[in-house]
Amino acid sequence: MRVEIEVGGRVRVVAIEHRGKALVVSLDGIERVVEAAALGGHRWSLRFPDSGAQHAVVVTPGQEPGSVDLLVDGLSIPARLRPAGREAAKASGGSRGAGKVIAPMPGKVVKVLVTVGQQVTARQGVAVIEAMKMENELRAGRDGTVRDVLVAEGALVDAGAPLVVIE
Amino acid sequence: MPEVQLRLVRKVLVANRGEIAVRVIRAARESGLQSVAVFADCDRGARHMRMADEAWPLGGNAPGESYLRIDKIVDAARASGADAVHPGYGFLAENPEFADACESAGLTFIGPSATAIRRMGSKTAAREVAVACGVPVVPGTAAPIPADAPEADVLREADRIGYPLMLKAVAGGGGKGMRVVSRPEDLHGALRAARSEAQTAFGNGAVFVERRLARPRHIEIQLLGDRHGTVVPFVERECSVQRRHQKVLEESPSPSVDPTLRAAIAEAARKVAASVGYSNAGTIEFLLDEDGRFYFLEMNTRLQVEHPITEAVTGVDLVRWQFRLADGERLTLTTADTLVPRGHAIEARIYAEDPDTGFMPSPGRILHLRPPSGPGVRDDGGYDALGEVPIFYDSLVSKLIAWAETREQAVARLRRALAEYEIAGIRTTLPFFQWLLEDRHFLEGHVDTTFLDRTLASRNGQPFAMPTASAEEAAAIVAALQLNGAGPQAASRPVSAWTRGARLEALR
Repeated sequence: MRVEIEVGGRVRVVAIEHRGKALVVSLDGIERVVEAAALGGHRWSLRFPDSGAQHAVVVTPGQEPGSVDLLVDGLSIPARLRPAGREAAKASGGSRGAGKVIAPMPGKVVKVLVTVGQQVTARQGVAVIEAMKMENELRAGRDGTVRDVLVAEGALVDAGAPLVVIE
Repeated sequence: MPEVQLRLVRKVLVANRGEIAVRVIRAARESGLQSVAVFADCDRGARHMRMADEAWPLGGNAPGESYLRIDKIVDAARASGADAVHPGYGFLAENPEFADACESAGLTFIGPSATAIRRMGSKTAAREVAVACGVPVVPGTAAPIPADAPEADVLREADRIGYPLMLKAVAGGGGKGMRVVSRPEDLHGALRAARSEAQTAFGNGAVFVERRLARPRHIEIQLLGDRHGTVVPFVERECSVQRRHQKVLEESPSPSVDPTLRAAIAEAARKVAASVGYSNAGTIEFLLDEDGRFYFLEMNTRLQVEHPITEAVTGVDLVRWQFRLADGERLTLTTADTLVPRGHAIEARIYAEDPDTGFMPSPGRILHLRPPSGPGVRDDGGYDALGEVPIFYDSLVSKLIAWAETREQAVARLRRALAEYEIAGIRTTLPFFQWLLEDRHFLEGHVDTTFLDRTLASRNGQPFAMPTASAEEAAAIVAALQLNGAGPQAASRPVSAWTRGARLEALR
């Protein structure tokens, strides 16, 4: 099994192989024997037998599909599985260009600042979401025309909910 | 001596939620009092309601339909047979109508009198009290400027006081309705913004003008007062580390206050509180300028978020004292107990905010939680593992307090405790504190209220957490094992739905 994983903004190539009882991991082409124990409740312990180094790891699902949040020795590190192969990369690039403004966290839509058909420029505010007594202005990711406004003022939205579509 | 006094308070309703409700319920239990929680719909099962002896629903979620509803809270107190109400901080804690409503319903309000809340809750009235006591105030307007006063009047006041200046909401708090104005031509926009924010947040658009000190420190004095005229001041708290006028880290004692200055500030605070017959817990905030002169800023007529650092350096349980004082007991503490710090304490406010995205709120379910422990560490948390941090309230998840013999040791202990703290499922300000505790200016104690915003502005967006190379490798390996369910033990476990989802996503 070989996967590409983006960890802390850097792509790592990880291959995992069982050799008898040992677990051999190749990380960016360098092979190491590791001991990994899934302890339940999102907790893992990873040990490198050669150096004795031990890391307490907590893995939980990330907000985006295909992503996980890792807590390594108490430090938070986001990771994302990279789709393998060129075609997958292209598809992922295509979906990113869709121009949707997404709610980054759950909250209440307090203001919608644009209407369908309106011209917007990148970084222009399109909606304001309130969560935890703070108002956050969400901005357009690109220049374009507002094709759709998917929420009304006063609506409660989940993280990842599309709010405005820009073409 | 056995207590012979007839106790008025036997059962206390806690009109709050989150960590402060947990704190008050703990003190109630230690004082032998029954505790009653109230809860909004989204807090069914929340830590504070599970901890209390009884829990009564308020219905609704947003504060305006739950924790701010005086009628519902008084009804819950009646229904439960509570004889006292502790308001915590925030919500109704500084609302004199709530204190009145409690008294009318025959409930002991665990706090100052409604009269004291009214007098000291208005920033301009409180300034008058300070001036009458001979305590210096920052130069500013004597009376509130009504929301509909002509701009020319404000401009005239501003010219008299001098620039740079602050516009502040008379009913303000938490940085809302506050604007810095550096030049007369900026006054128009700032005034409009401050008035509108004050109107939205406090229902009162009145503002006042205050001169802005260059690089002041925020120093505050905790007070306890009994109903017999005694007010005792405590060692100062240094609260200069603020982000956009919100405190994020506090310590006691202040690195910049010596015993002489301490005695002077404490006496000024005591005098102001005593002059209005203040009882129960309260705090007076001061600004300290670069020359060591201090100015009265405002009074908070309630328990403060940062009260634990005072408890740590004095050994006094402030919340238990609140109960005793509400019961009419006399203060037996003296300044020998309260003005001589033992060691040093620092509090870090762990908020559900993502420091790497400009402190964007991060509500949601806490999937994993392991608070630190060990010598000198106190974690005042408001949530259980698998608890939900709702979108409706402030983002404070926990307060982490470290105590040690010296400031240097307290910093080292806080650093150690931060590294032990595991929270997953939501983003928190933990990595921010790990960064802050390495900052040279902070370590040298050179902080003022502008320090943090200036330092953050100069960071250019690099991530706060800096894992070691080995930790990053571990992260990559465990992520690969988890996402593919290929771990030696993971293979024999059922694969959870989200892992399957992640794998499906990868196959697209």
